[in-house]
Amino acid sequence: MPEEQVDLEGEVTRMDAAFGSGDGDEEATAVVAKSQASLGQIFEQTYRPWDGELGPRWMRNYAIFRHHVYGVFTSKGHRQYHPMVRLLILIIFLASLTPIPMLFLSSFIGDEGGFFEKMWGINRYNLWGQVLGYFPRNLCMWPLLTAVVVGGMISDDRQHGTSAIYFSRPISRLDYTSMKYLSVAIILGFVIIFSYFAYYTSAIVFKAEGWAYLADTLPLFLRGMLAGSILVITYTSIGLALSSISQSRFFAAIGFLSIIYGTKLVSLLIELQFGTTFMYAMSPYDCLAHTGQFLLGIPSNYEHPVSISVVSLMAMNSVSIWLLVSRVTSLEVTRE
Amino acid sequence: MTMEQQDPPAVLIDQASKWYGQVIGINDLSLAIDGGVTGVLGPNGAGKSTLFKLMMGRIRPSQGSVRLFGVDPWKNTSPYRRVGYVSESEKLYEWMTALDFVTTLARLHGMTREEATERSAHVLEFVGLTDVMHKELGKFSKGMRQRVKIAHALVHNPDLLILDEPLHGCDPLARTSIMSVIRELGKQGKTILISSHILEEIERITEQIVILHNGRLLAIGNLHAIRGLLDKHPHRILINCEDPRSLANLFVTEEPVFGVRFPGEGQLEIQTNDLSAAHAVLPSIVVSSNQKITSIENPDDNLDSLLGYLIKEGS
Repeated sequence: MPEEQVDLEGEVTRMDAAFGSGDGDEEATAVVAKSQASLGQIFEQTYRPWDGELGPRWMRNYAIFRHHVYGVFTSKGHRQYHPMVRLLILIIFLASLTPIPMLFLSSFIGDEGGFFEKMWGINRYNLWGQVLGYFPRNLCMWPLLTAVVVGGMISDDRQHGTSAIYFSRPISRLDYTSMKYLSVAIILGFVIIFSYFAYYTSAIVFKAEGWAYLADTLPLFLRGMLAGSILVITYTSIGLALSSISQSRFFAAIGFLSIIYGTKLVSLLIELQFGTTFMYAMSPYDCLAHTGQFLLGIPSNYEHPVSISVVSLMAMNSVSIWLLVSRVTSLEVTRE
Repeated sequence: MTMEQQDPPAVLIDQASKWYGQVIGINDLSLAIDGGVTGVLGPNGAGKSTLFKLMMGRIRPSQGSVRLFGVDPWKNTSPYRRVGYVSESEKLYEWMTALDFVTTLARLHGMTREEATERSAHVLEFVGLTDVMHKELGKFSKGMRQRVKIAHALVHNPDLLILDEPLHGCDPLARTSIMSVIRELGKQGKTILISSHILEEIERITEQIVILHNGRLLAIGNLHAIRGLLDKHPHRILINCEDPRSLANLFVTEEPVFGVRFPGEGQLEIQTNDLSAAHAVLPSIVVSSNQKITSIENPDDNLDSLLGYLIKEGS
């Protein structure tokens, strides 16, 4: 090493790279320890008390809400959703918007009353199907979406003891639970209700429909939206209840899918064997579909009265919310 | 005549017990703490963490009551606006940066985004993490994580600070700075409860201690006062000198001294039940002995031996 490159007075010492091969590494340099060991610095650490006012309850609750909801878009400073979960949410969201290009195509080719109009145009059946159709939405999309969103919502906190982060702050267990509930409902609602809204709106825009069309179809749209909201509430209640009783996101997710698909399958087998649709009252999806058919005024696929499905839905929601609230209010954070 | 309304103490525990199935965590514990720094001591399994968890409303007492600023923390979380807590091994959000994490928790106290960010940056600077506050917590060492926990406990300027093994994993520089902060906060009138296995550290911070063993309260109060109450265990004064036997001759005639021992070469151990009286006569005897004394120590008057005595008695 040339002597002029060695700074014996201090500062940075420069040396040739130890493993230079000679083919271009001649320029390589490495910074080694500064020789000015006699110098030192003491950092003064002073604690400055804060005399601001802490915000009200809604601000604290909003902090919980945004932590969970914004995490879907970015985990920087928010709850972490696995990239695959985010990808799945995006795929489901885009898939739920597929009728929109079809509507565009229909208006583009002037398919008045034709195949495209029948399959994707605004009518009672299609509005029902956008939210409550079995395939693909309630077989492949909504249950899966709920399972991935709700899976770790409370179970992660239970598994890692991170619920303590909330419970050692002025946040009641009721606030904690309700904000988790609202966060899940908003994420599901964004995909399910927003896609429904976008579908309806795009039909009006693409077909340049006027007020008369709006007056005709708006009540149907609102009824469909009510059915969609009941679906979001029911799936959120069942999913969060399962998340609150487990310490693994896998159990909560699989448990939710088992309930949705399992009850449907058992009811179907009983119908095939005994010719009664009564057992569909235990299937959340079928209760929602039945209620949705009633709301949108389309012929029912079920023989039993709609009141049974409505009562069953109320019972499912009540039991789930009771389980969720009682589990969280009695939760002792012993795991850390 | 009007009665002056007194503020409830920061911590009031009344005959609280906590059982985990067959295991007793805390057994019929009563204490009140308000202001200053108090060290919570005891061996592993003594119930220190259980006591802190009871205070933080993380677990519910099986019996008795716990009050923070006069409010039951299990039923009402409002006292936590005034409480900062560092748990023994709290899980952090590994994917967040230190600044994001502390800011998120500050916002859970109801701070605005600007307040939370500004305040978080300050407390992170205070615990010496400014350089790495934009790094993810998953990449932090144990000591750095402890400092992040202290930062998030301080972010809302609490009146009561509960610190469960806060110095665990910290390097000596961080320990010193954190201890000086704790002392300073205590001087400012804040109530601070701190547990640690390293007794020397507690001694450097405070003389006010609570000693737990097997979930029971063994002692509470000033370290030296508690030592003075332990009559069964005489105080010892260890003197290193040239001729211990001739020095012993002079001591045995004195009233407060009831025994002498020669534990090692050039060493004299004086046994007394009245430490201050023994220390009062000690200078004149040393002068009259006319020999070179290299050291005088009180091996019993420290936290370590006190804890040892109390735990032996407790069990």
